[in-house]
Amino acid sequence: MPSIPSNKKPEADRTMLRPPAEAKYAEELAYLLSIDKHPKPFTWKLSPRVVRLFILGSQPGDKLDRPIVQKFFGDSGTVERAIVTLASDRGLLLIGDPGTGKSWLAELLAAAICGDSTKVVQGTAGTVEDHIKYSWNVAMVIAKGQSHQSLIPSPLMTSMKAGTLGRFEELTRCSSDVQDALISMLSEKYIAIPELDQDNIVFAEPGFNVIATANARDRGVNDLSSALKRRFNFVQIPIVKNQKTEREIVTFRTQELLARNAFSIDTPPALLDILLQTFADLRETSAAETSEEGRLESALSTAEQISVLEDAILYGHFFGDTQLRPDVLARSLVGSLVRRMPEDISILSKFWHAVVAKRAREHGGEWKDFESGGVQALGLGAKEKEAAAGKKTK
Amino acid sequence: MPTPPPLPSLFEPLRAQFLQLAQEFSTDARPLSEMLGGIVADVERACAEPLEMFPVKHHSPAAAVHLLRRLRERPPKVIFMEGCEDMQAEFAKLGDCRLPVAIQAFAAKVDYSNLPPVEGRREPSAPLSLVMPLTEFSAEFQAIAYAHATGTELRMVDRTADHVFQWTRDPEYIAPEEPDASDEPAGDEAKMHGGAVGVQLGELRPTFPRFVEVLLQKARVQHYSEWWEQYVEQPLFSADFDTYRQVLFMIGSLVRRLGQNTVDKTEDELRERYMWTRIKTHLNATGIAPRDALYICGAAHTASHVPEFGTASPTLWDIPPVSATKWLYGVLPSSYASIERQFGMPPGAVCLAEATWKRQLSLQQCQAYKIEDKPTLRARPKKSASTPPSSVSSVPAEPANRLQAYLATPPSPLSENHDELLQWSTQVTSLARKDGYLASTADSIAIYQTSVLLAQLRNRHHPTPYDFRDAAVTCLEKDRVPKKRDIRKICDILLGGDRIGKIGYNSLPPLAQNIYDRLKILPVNLEARTIQRALLDLRAHPEYRACSELLWKLRYLVPPAVRPIMGQLVLGQTSEQESWDLSLGKFQGQLVELGYEGITVESVLERRLTADAYAPEATTSVALDVIEKCLLLMRSERLAEDFGARATHLLVSADNVGDAPEVYSRTQKLVHYYRGTSDGVPIWLGNFVQTGYRHYCAQLPLAFTDRGVKPEDLASMLRFIFTLESLALSFGCQRSELLIAVRQASTADDPVKLGLLWCAENVLQLRRIADLRAYFENVLANELLLPRLPEYLSGFLLGLAFAPGLTGFTVELLSRTFAELPETKLMPWLPQLFRVLRTHGAASLPILIKEAGALFPRTLSDLQPWTPPWEAQSQSQSQVHSASPANETIIKPLPTTTSPQVLAASSLLAQYPATTNAMAVLLGVDVIRPEVA
Repeated sequence: MPSIPSNKKPEADRTMLRPPAEAKYAEELAYLLSIDKHPKPFTWKLSPRVVRLFILGSQPGDKLDRPIVQKFFGDSGTVERAIVTLASDRGLLLIGDPGTGKSWLAELLAAAICGDSTKVVQGTAGTVEDHIKYSWNVAMVIAKGQSHQSLIPSPLMTSMKAGTLGRFEELTRCSSDVQDALISMLSEKYIAIPELDQDNIVFAEPGFNVIATANARDRGVNDLSSALKRRFNFVQIPIVKNQKTEREIVTFRTQELLARNAFSIDTPPALLDILLQTFADLRETSAAETSEEGRLESALSTAEQISVLEDAILYGHFFGDTQLRPDVLARSLVGSLVRRMPEDISILSKFWHAVVAKRAREHGGEWKDFESGGVQALGLGAKEKEAAAGKKTK
Repeated sequence: MPTPPPLPSLFEPLRAQFLQLAQEFSTDARPLSEMLGGIVADVERACAEPLEMFPVKHHSPAAAVHLLRRLRERPPKVIFMEGCEDMQAEFAKLGDCRLPVAIQAFAAKVDYSNLPPVEGRREPSAPLSLVMPLTEFSAEFQAIAYAHATGTELRMVDRTADHVFQWTRDPEYIAPEEPDASDEPAGDEAKMHGGAVGVQLGELRPTFPRFVEVLLQKARVQHYSEWWEQYVEQPLFSADFDTYRQVLFMIGSLVRRLGQNTVDKTEDELRERYMWTRIKTHLNATGIAPRDALYICGAAHTASHVPEFGTASPTLWDIPPVSATKWLYGVLPSSYASIERQFGMPPGAVCLAEATWKRQLSLQQCQAYKIEDKPTLRARPKKSASTPPSSVSSVPAEPANRLQAYLATPPSPLSENHDELLQWSTQVTSLARKDGYLASTADSIAIYQTSVLLAQLRNRHHPTPYDFRDAAVTCLEKDRVPKKRDIRKICDILLGGDRIGKIGYNSLPPLAQNIYDRLKILPVNLEARTIQRALLDLRAHPEYRACSELLWKLRYLVPPAVRPIMGQLVLGQTSEQESWDLSLGKFQGQLVELGYEGITVESVLERRLTADAYAPEATTSVALDVIEKCLLLMRSERLAEDFGARATHLLVSADNVGDAPEVYSRTQKLVHYYRGTSDGVPIWLGNFVQTGYRHYCAQLPLAFTDRGVKPEDLASMLRFIFTLESLALSFGCQRSELLIAVRQASTADDPVKLGLLWCAENVLQLRRIADLRAYFENVLANELLLPRLPEYLSGFLLGLAFAPGLTGFTVELLSRTFAELPETKLMPWLPQLFRVLRTHGAASLPILIKEAGALFPRTLSDLQPWTPPWEAQSQSQSQVHSASPANETIIKPLPTTTSPQVLAASSLLAQYPATTNAMAVLLGVDVIRPEVA
C-alpha cells in the first residue's frame, strides 16, 4: 500500500500542530467556492481572480459577506504572475532570499487552486530520483513481484494522477541529475514505469502543475539545467523593505503562531517599532559592509523578525510577568542572530554601540531598556567566547 | 427622480446619483456628498465659462488629438497657454529641432536685491536652471506648432521662471510617483536635464499618497500612469470633444479636492491668479471676445477657486515683481528617459504614449502639426482657418451631459489587436536572444498565452502593454540577467524605446554654432550621437591646427564632449599628429549651456580662467596653473602677465608655504618654457621669481622652527631658492639675503629639517663635509642616536634635489651604515630605511644610484684592490687637517680616485699638458706646472 497519506481533507476537529492552509482556511475556501462565478481553468477549484482574492485578502469595496484576510503580503503583480503561470503550460519556480515567504505562497496557491497543499517533495542533498518519481515496497516486490500494488508513488506522481498541484521545496538543494527528473514530468506530462510490462505509463490529469521554490542564496550550488529553466517561469519574491508591510506581516504571523499556544498577546506598538527599526538598521549596516566577514550570517528576513518576536513573547509569558519587555526582546534578538561564535558577537556589539546606543540616546524610554538588555546579552556572549578561547578574564 | 432645484442644470441627474452614492457608502454622508457635489459644481462652472478652457494632462496623446480636432474645427483668435511666459521667445527655435527637447531658463547668479524680504523665503542657490520638456504628442507642442503654422497668436500666461524659484519652497524636491522608479541607477540618457528643476504643462498628478494607493488598488494597476492610460486616455480617444472636456474637468476637480497636499495647492493658486490676470489683461487690451480665445491649461487648474477665476470676475491680481536675477534662455536636447526621471513617471510611460499617439493619428486620420523651418506647407491649416468664425457661434450650443454615460459604462474594450500582441511576443524573444537569454519560439507562445491570462485576471479584454511586459518578465526572466539589459528594459525598447532630441544648427546659441563652424573642416559627422574618431595629421593638413586648438579648449571647458586619444598639450611643444574622440552630438546640451556664459569659446575661457585666478580661495599654485593654461590654450601674453601679477600677490600674501612644492614645479616649468623662447624670460616671471626668492628667504628661519611646516615644503622652498637663484639674482636679489636667512635658521630638533639645513649650509659653503662625517661617526657609534639616522638620511635625500654636492656623502653614509653596524642592529633598522626611501626616494634615488655606480668598483677584479674613497680621503684629510687651521671653511676638492682608468687618464694628461694648459689659459687660471701637481 502506498505510504503517502491519501488526499482526503484533514478533519477540522483533529488537532494539528500546524494545519495546512486548506485546513486552516477551510471556511474561507468553502465560502469563496460558493460565490465564485468566474470561469475556471482545468479542474481548478477556484477561478484565478478568486485565488488572488484568497491570497491577497478582500477590500471593503469588494462587497463580500465576510472579510477575507490577507495572507501573503507583497506586490499584487507577483501573485498574479504566479497564478497565471500555474494556468499555463509551465511550472512555477518561486525564487528569493530565505524567509521571504516562498513556501507560504506555494502552500496558499496549492490550497486555493486544488484544495491540497500536502503533495510536497522536500529537496535535500540526499534527494534521489525515486523521491520524485516512484519507489517500490521491497517486501511486496519479493512476495508478489513488481506491480501497481507494490509501487510507492511520489507525491508528485500522486498529484499527476489527481490533476492537482505538486510542490517541490528547495529545488536547488538537489543535485542536477535529480532535478532533471522533473523535465519529462513538466514537458511530456507523464511518468513511464519501465519495470511494469503493461499499463506502464502514468499520465497527468489536466490541472497538474508543479510549484517549486528555490533559495536565492543557494545560487550556483546546483544550478538548474537550461532545459529545466526553460520549463519553469521564475517569479522573484523580493525582500519586504516597506516597514508598514513588514509590520503587518510580523503582527499577522506572530498572532497565528501564538494561537498554537492558546493565548494571544498584544505586542506593544513601540516594541514592534524597535524590532523593525533594529532590523532595518541591521540590513543597512550589512549592505554597507564590503566584506562577507563583516556581515551577519543571518539573512535578516521578515521570518527572522517573527521568530525573534515569538521567542520574546513566549519567554515573557512563561518566565516573565506575561508582558513583553524590551530587554527580553533584545536578548531574543541577540540569541537568534548570533550563529558564528566570535564573529557575529563582535559584529553585533559594534552595531549595538554605534546604532542602538544612538537611538537609545535619541528616543530614550523603551529603547534604553532594549539597549541595556542587548549589552547584557552580548556581554555574556563575549565572556563565553573568551572562556572558549581559553583566555583569562579579569 | 429627485426633484429639480429652481435652476435645473444639465448635471443635476449626475449630482443626484452622486448624493445617493454618498448616502449608500459612507456612514457620515455629509462630507462625501459635499465633495461629490463640489465636483459636479466645478464641472458645471468650467463648462459655463465663456472663455473656452481646454484641460490637458502632460504628455497625453488624447489631449493632443482633441486639441488638433478642436483647432481644425474652430480656429481661435488667440490661444492662452499654461507655461512660463518668459520662455515663449524660445519657441521660434523649435523649428530646427528634433523632439523631445526642453526649453531652458538659466541664471548664473541669484539677485533678490530688488525684492522686499518675505518671511520664510529661502534664496535659492545659484546657478538656477529650469527646464520645460516638450514632446511631439503633447497638447502644448501641438498648440505651439499650430500657432507657428497659422500665425495665430499664442500667449504663455503662467509665472516666469523667476517666480518659480521665488515661490517654490524646496525646488530640489520632486516627489517620485513610484518609489522604486528611482531605485535603478539612471543611465546617461536619463540625466540629460542635469540638476535642473522641471516644469511641465498640465501637471495632473495626485501628490497625496493614500489617494493614489486606493486608486491603484481599485483599478488593479501598478502606476498612476497606467491607470490614466487605461481609464482616461484610451476611452477618451473615441469620445467627442464635450465628453473629453467634461471628463478632464471632473478628474481635475477630483485631483484638486482629494489628491493634492496643501503646499502644492497653495502654489497652484498663486499660478491661477497669475494666469487669469494675464489672460484678462490681454483680452481687455486687445478687445478679443472671450469666446474667440482658447485657454489650454492643466485639468486641475480648471477647478480653481481663486477670486480671479473666470472672465466674468473683474478681480485682477497685482502680480509680484520679478527679481533682478538675469535670466538666459535656450533649447536643450532632452530624452524620454529624462522626462520620466524628472517627473517621476514609471520607465517606459512616455515611450508608450508616443506609440499610442502614432496609432491614434493613423486611426483617426489626423494630421499632426509640425514646426517646419520654412513655413511653406500651410495649405492644410489654412483650409480650416478659412472656416469663418460663424462656426464659433455654434460652439456652446448644447454641452450635453456626457459625464454620466462615461462614468456608468465600463471602459470600452481596447481594440483587440492580436497581430500586434503576436508581433510583440515574437520580437521580444528575438531581442532577448540577442541579449543573451535562452529564448525560443516556445517562449513567444508562452508570453502570448500569459499576457492574455494576465489581462483576464486583471479584468481586461485585451492585454495592455503593461500586461505584456509582466508576461514577458514572467516567462523569460530567470535567476540572473545574462548581459546588460534585463527583460523589462528589452520590453521598453520594443515598445518604442527611448528617443533623444536634437537641436538643429539654427537653434543653437552663437557659441555652439561657432564651434560647429570651426570644426566643419574635420572629416567627421559632428552631429552624430556616437563617438566620432577624428585623426588630425597636422603636418599634411596645417588647416587642422586651428581645430586642434579649439578641441583643446573644449577639452578644458566641456571635458566629456571631446577626448584626446593621441597627442598632448605641453608648454613649448606642438603636436604633429593628434587623434580625438568627439561626441559633440551626445553632449549638445552642455554646449548649449556653455553658450550662456559667452559668445565665443575664447571669451568663456578667459572668463573661467579669470574666475579661477581671482577666486577668493585661490592659491599661488592655482594662479600659476591658470597662467600655464592661459599660455597653452589662449597663447595670450597679456593675460599671462595679469595672472602673473596676481600670482605674485598671492605668494606674498599667503600665510603658509603649504603649496611650495607645486609653486616650485610650476615656476620651474614656466621658466624652462620661456628660456626656450626667443624673447627669453618675461619681466613678470622674473619679478615673480625674485619675489619668490625674497619671500622664501624671509620665511626660511621660521620654516625651520615651525612644526607646522612639513620637511617636503621646506625642501621645495630651498629648491626654489637654489635652482632659480641665478634668475632671481639677475632680477636684483642679493645672495646675502639667503646667507643671513640660513645663518638665522636655528637647528630645530627635527632631524629631517636638520639634514636639510646642513644640505643648504653645504651649498653655501658654510658647512664642510668633513664636519658632517665627524658628526655621523659619532651617530653610528652611539646606540642612543642610531634610531634617528633614517630621519637624518631622509633630510639628506630631500636635500639632494638642490645640493648635488652631498650625493657622494649620502652614498658614503649609507654604505658605512651597512658596513659598520652589526646585523642585530641593522636588521630592525632596515624597514625604517625602506619607508624613508619609499617616501622620499622617488626624486633622489636615481642620483644616488648614479653616484654609487661611479664610486663602487664595477668589476669583480676591481673589488680586491678597492678601498672606499672616503677612507682614503679621511686618511689624507687627517694629515691636511693637522696642518691647516681649525676653522678653515674652504672645501678641498675630492682627491683623485684610485680607479685604474682615472689613473691612466691623469697620467696621460700629465704627460701631455698642452691641452689642459690651453684650457686653463682660456678659463683665466694660472697654469699649473706638472711637477707641482
